[in-house]
Amino acid sequence: MRPLTDEETKTMFEKLSKYIGENIKLLVDRPDGTYCFRLHNDRVYYMSEKILKLATNISRDKLVSVGTCFGKFTKTNKFRLHITALDFLAPYAKFKVWVKPGTEQSFLYGNHVLKSGLGRITENTEQYQGVVVYSMADVPLGFGVAAKTTQECRRVDPMSIVVFHQADVGEFIRNEDTLT
Amino acid sequence: MRRLYVGGLSHSVTQKDLKDRFGKFGDVHDVELRTRKDEEGVPYKTFSYINIDISEADLKKCMTVLNKSKWKGGTLQIEAAKESFLHRLAQERQAAMEQCLQQPAAEDKRQKLLDSLSKAGVDNFTMKAAVPGTEVPGHKDWVVSKFGRVLPTLQLRCKKGNKARTLKYDPSKYSHNIRKLDKTTTDSSTPVTQLTWEVQGGDDDISKKRRGEFPPYKPPPRPKKSRTDMISSHNAVSRARLEPTVKSINHTEKQPFTNGFELHSKHRPDLRKFASLIDSDDSDEEIRRMVAAQNTSHDARYQEVEDNLEVVGFDYLGKLERSCKKQKGRPDNEDEDDYDSADTDELFASKIVPPPPPPPPSETPLKKKQVLPTDKPHSENNTHGKKKTRKQSKVGAEEAEEEDLRKRSCTQQRRDSGKQNSQKQSGSSGKHSEKTAVHSSSSESDHDEVDENEELDSADSSSDSDYDTMFSNVTRLEISFTDLQRLAEQSQPTSEPAVTSNVSPGPEKETGLIAGSAKQPTKKGIMPEEILASIMEDDSSDDDKKKKKKRKRKDVMLIQLPAFLGTNTLNHGFETIDNNQRLKEEENEEAKISVIKKHKLDSEAPQVDNTSSEEEEEVEVEDNPAAKMVPNKAHINTENAETSSSSSSDDDEEEVETSSSSSEEDKDKVITVEDVGKLATPAALHSESISDEDEEDEEEEKAPSRVTLGAKEEAELQRKANMRRLAAIQQRQKEAEEHKRLIQGALANLDTPNPGTGKRIVFGSDDEEEQDGEDESKQQISPEVTVSKKTMFHDSQSEDEATGDEESADENNTVKENVQRKRSASRLFGGSDDEEDGDGEEDDSRFDIRPQFEGRAGQKLMELQSRFGTDERFRMDSRFLEDDEGKEEESERTKNMADEDETLEEERKKNLSILQSVLGSVQQTCSSKTTVKAKTFRDVSALHYDPSREEHAAFETKPEETKESKSARRKKREEAQKLPEVTKEIYYDVSGDLKAVFGQTKDNVTEEEENPSWDQEEEEKRGNNEEPILPVIHVPADLSAEKQESGFKFSFFGEDAETETRETEYKVETIQAPKVSWQQDPRFQDSSSEEDDDEEGQEEDEEQSSATPKTTEEATPSKTSLFFFFPEDSRLTEGPRLFCRPSQLEEQREQWEERRSELRQEYRKKHKDARRKLKASLKS
Repeated sequence: MRPLTDEETKTMFEKLSKYIGENIKLLVDRPDGTYCFRLHNDRVYYMSEKILKLATNISRDKLVSVGTCFGKFTKTNKFRLHITALDFLAPYAKFKVWVKPGTEQSFLYGNHVLKSGLGRITENTEQYQGVVVYSMADVPLGFGVAAKTTQECRRVDPMSIVVFHQADVGEFIRNEDTLT
Repeated sequence: MRRLYVGGLSHSVTQKDLKDRFGKFGDVHDVELRTRKDEEGVPYKTFSYINIDISEADLKKCMTVLNKSKWKGGTLQIEAAKESFLHRLAQERQAAMEQCLQQPAAEDKRQKLLDSLSKAGVDNFTMKAAVPGTEVPGHKDWVVSKFGRVLPTLQLRCKKGNKARTLKYDPSKYSHNIRKLDKTTTDSSTPVTQLTWEVQGGDDDISKKRRGEFPPYKPPPRPKKSRTDMISSHNAVSRARLEPTVKSINHTEKQPFTNGFELHSKHRPDLRKFASLIDSDDSDEEIRRMVAAQNTSHDARYQEVEDNLEVVGFDYLGKLERSCKKQKGRPDNEDEDDYDSADTDELFASKIVPPPPPPPPSETPLKKKQVLPTDKPHSENNTHGKKKTRKQSKVGAEEAEEEDLRKRSCTQQRRDSGKQNSQKQSGSSGKHSEKTAVHSSSSESDHDEVDENEELDSADSSSDSDYDTMFSNVTRLEISFTDLQRLAEQSQPTSEPAVTSNVSPGPEKETGLIAGSAKQPTKKGIMPEEILASIMEDDSSDDDKKKKKKRKRKDVMLIQLPAFLGTNTLNHGFETIDNNQRLKEEENEEAKISVIKKHKLDSEAPQVDNTSSEEEEEVEVEDNPAAKMVPNKAHINTENAETSSSSSSDDDEEEVETSSSSSEEDKDKVITVEDVGKLATPAALHSESISDEDEEDEEEEKAPSRVTLGAKEEAELQRKANMRRLAAIQQRQKEAEEHKRLIQGALANLDTPNPGTGKRIVFGSDDEEEQDGEDESKQQISPEVTVSKKTMFHDSQSEDEATGDEESADENNTVKENVQRKRSASRLFGGSDDEEDGDGEEDDSRFDIRPQFEGRAGQKLMELQSRFGTDERFRMDSRFLEDDEGKEEESERTKNMADEDETLEEERKKNLSILQSVLGSVQQTCSSKTTVKAKTFRDVSALHYDPSREEHAAFETKPEETKESKSARRKKREEAQKLPEVTKEIYYDVSGDLKAVFGQTKDNVTEEEENPSWDQEEEEKRGNNEEPILPVIHVPADLSAEKQESGFKFSFFGEDAETETRETEYKVETIQAPKVSWQQDPRFQDSSSEEDDDEEGQEEDEEQSSATPKTTEEATPSKTSLFFFFPEDSRLTEGPRLFCRPSQLEEQREQWEERRSELRQEYRKKHKDARRKLKASLKS
């Protein structure tokens, strides 16, 4: 487990900023304690200082997970967010998409959100903007990337994809073995 | 006839109006007027439908004239309406009627088609001698289908997706799917009842087999033999012949259901028979002859049988092979399979009806027999039931035993059968060694063990021919297994019926009697219960006799055997029960029984001994008879083998019989083993009684050996048990000794410390803690010492005891006791209670937390201490504590913490900077936390008011302050109210100006007093008005007074009416009040004006005028006591006049008109002036 390098931090922040923008600051600079990002097994964990200290007691090879896994660095050194980061993305998300109750399941099975299933969308969402997907009851279901701008969403036909699926809470079950 | 819609009608239009209006253009039939109303019932739309006879021209005209014309406040809108639905309905009905009329035409069409078809050679839609698929000439869409039917080709429209296409259905192409429905050709479908296997008739088959009744067999005529030997041998042969046939028949019956032994029955009988014949009757010419004679008949029979057998497929073989493999491969597993097959067998057997193939005339009675025996088992079962009720307690255990036995026997059997198979093959070559005989006999014995029924048969057959028996065994295996299940339930009972059934085939009329007579003595020989059983048996046997009158002759001896067995078995059944009961109740009776048996049999002592010993065993080890049984059985088997071999070596019939008897004996033994050891004796008895002296000898030979074996066994068992017990005892002793040694050793160690303490070097002499420690240790040790001493003392005792007690099963107890004693002793010797208390304290203190071991340094100390152990000499005190180190460490730690924090902080900063770079434009992120705190994320939705928080005070509303403000406001108000008081002085000063003030008002009045007469009237009216109002106003006087106080004190009536003394004051006040021009007070004016309005509805001018005189008059009446009125006030007289018109209405009106014109003029003038002025001002 080690702190992220500048490069890694940058890539990660770039990715995160797609979803929560400048709210990353609230993650880095928390009033309720010192929190930090740590890299372990190519995965980035977000944890409090206390847990960090506790985690030092565990050998690296035995350590499976500390704090919250935000995502992992791919072999090509890109950062990929995991669904576990949703807890931190959802409250700070800038652009949101609400899906209709009927499409909730479809989304939770890993499908994209179609226009027909789109219940609500934040205004001025740009194309390829990271969005957090909510159910109509405001339960965060996952996140993805807006395939269309809000304006386009109004025009497109109902079967066109509006949000590209990236992660959903269904992965907690589907990818149980790989999620940490 | 047209229907017009006329819209835009006014609500008042009636039907008649419409009719009239449209009647001009045509003949109006009907007008339907409709009005749409909104929720409140207010009509907002009216329209109508008009049925009218109108020509086109007229309609046009009508439209041009009326359309969009205004009529009664509405704009008409005329349109052609849809037809009334009623009208339409009527039309439709009419059309339907017409269609009905036209229908015959369609019929005609069909007829035409038929005609045309018939022309083409089609008769009733069938074309004879036409190949399916040929088109009917002249009809494109008709095709000949199967059975010469003419069917139309169908054009089916099917829609797939967006494309609609037609599908052509040519019936001729699907002709193979069509089945001809014709009454004549309806194939007789098998009724439901015949679909399932029909197997009737309960136990018939089995019972038949048991009895040895073989319906299809007809004994061939043969010369009568005077010699018994010959008869017996012949009987044997015939039996040998019989059995295969029976089996085969049975199998034919079973064929469809069970994979039986068709192969065996098909191919082997001949071989077997020959073998058996050759084997048993080697040299006997007569028998050979017989065989030759019978062979022919048998051949025929076999032919018949085989015909029946042909139905069986090859899978049968496969299964057999499988079963064979199974038998060879894993006999144990086979058990269940066999059971299964047996089950099925039983099932079928139970269902099988008397075989369908027509038996020869001679067999008809046999059929009867087949049917009849069904009663028997029932009755027997009943008896069993009775027995069962008696048994119940023991039955379970016995059953279990039997089960075990059976399994074992089964496995054995299988092995045996395997052997037999091999032997059969060898035997088929024609040579039959005695070995095979031995084997067969042994196998027989095994089978006997398994099943009495089979046993008997096999015994008989074995007496005839070994090979036959072998075969019978093989085939019977199934049957025996069928019985196995029943056996499991009814251990003894089943054997009984089996026996009886077996017996039944044997006896003829004459022989049966003999058998009965033969039976009688034997029965009576034993216990009363046995007699009872025998009587019952007798009945059954009698039945048998009656039934089996057409059976062959048989040897008396042979008959006797089964009879014996039956009784035997019965006896066994009873005996077992009795024994079981007795065993529990009293052993004496058993002894008696044994004695009785002894007496009656005058058999050898050892046998009795054996029984007695067995009894003992039972008494001793009731738990595991099965274990005992196994060896016993083995013995028996071996014995049997011996006997059989011996018997087979002799070619005498008697010998054969002995073998059979031996087999019986075996069975008995088995039973005895199963139930009680005692039962062996009767079996022996019987066998002996039956057999000749030679046999007896053999028996004698056998019996002792068996007995000895049993005795040996028992002895060995006992010995073993004893050995085990002894070993256990020894081990316990050893353990106890070890215990003692350990304790001794401990004692020896503990004895030393006391002196040792004296030698110990004391580092800190005065240290209390150490002293404590010492005390502790001492006190810890001292009781132990006493204890150990005691134990030592006791140990010797206990040892003595141990040595003394051979049966050291109590050893443990003694040891325990010792321990207990030790404890008590220690208490006794320990003496003082103080010590004990001290002990307790010490113990408590042992778990106290020592201050020197606290903290970081303490931990170290603790480690050190632990390294030394509990050695008193190296006790770690607080003196060993290192103070500095801990502090240093702490400081280090804090430093580290600080470092870590720093690093984290740095990291954070770095992160933030990176973030800034990522986000680009983002404002300078706060480096210090305080600033961050200011910008804390606040979840508004989660915001709750927390009274304990200071920040939340902002949300609180302060009620006290508001109170204050209220009071302040009140104060203010009060102050405001007080204000007029301050002006009192002024009031006095200004009093002189009264006239001026009123003068002003008077000017106003004069201005408006243009119509004096009018005004006059008004004046008086006013004055009169005042009075009736007075009391009304009087009530709220106080309220009004308050308000008026501030502005101007003009409360006229309130106090005035009450008191006259303050009259002057009031007067003054009233005058004083209007310092702000009196009549401009709006309130006053308004009130008056309102009144005026109510009264007259006249203009303001008049009101104003009315107000002025009042005031003037108010001022004047000051001289009198009354405020407004004075005595003989003219107003009072004039006032009432106001209520009636002073002049005529016309006059007044005229007056008014005049006045109005004047006013108008004046107004216009003024208006003009104003305009002019405005213009001028604009211009300027």
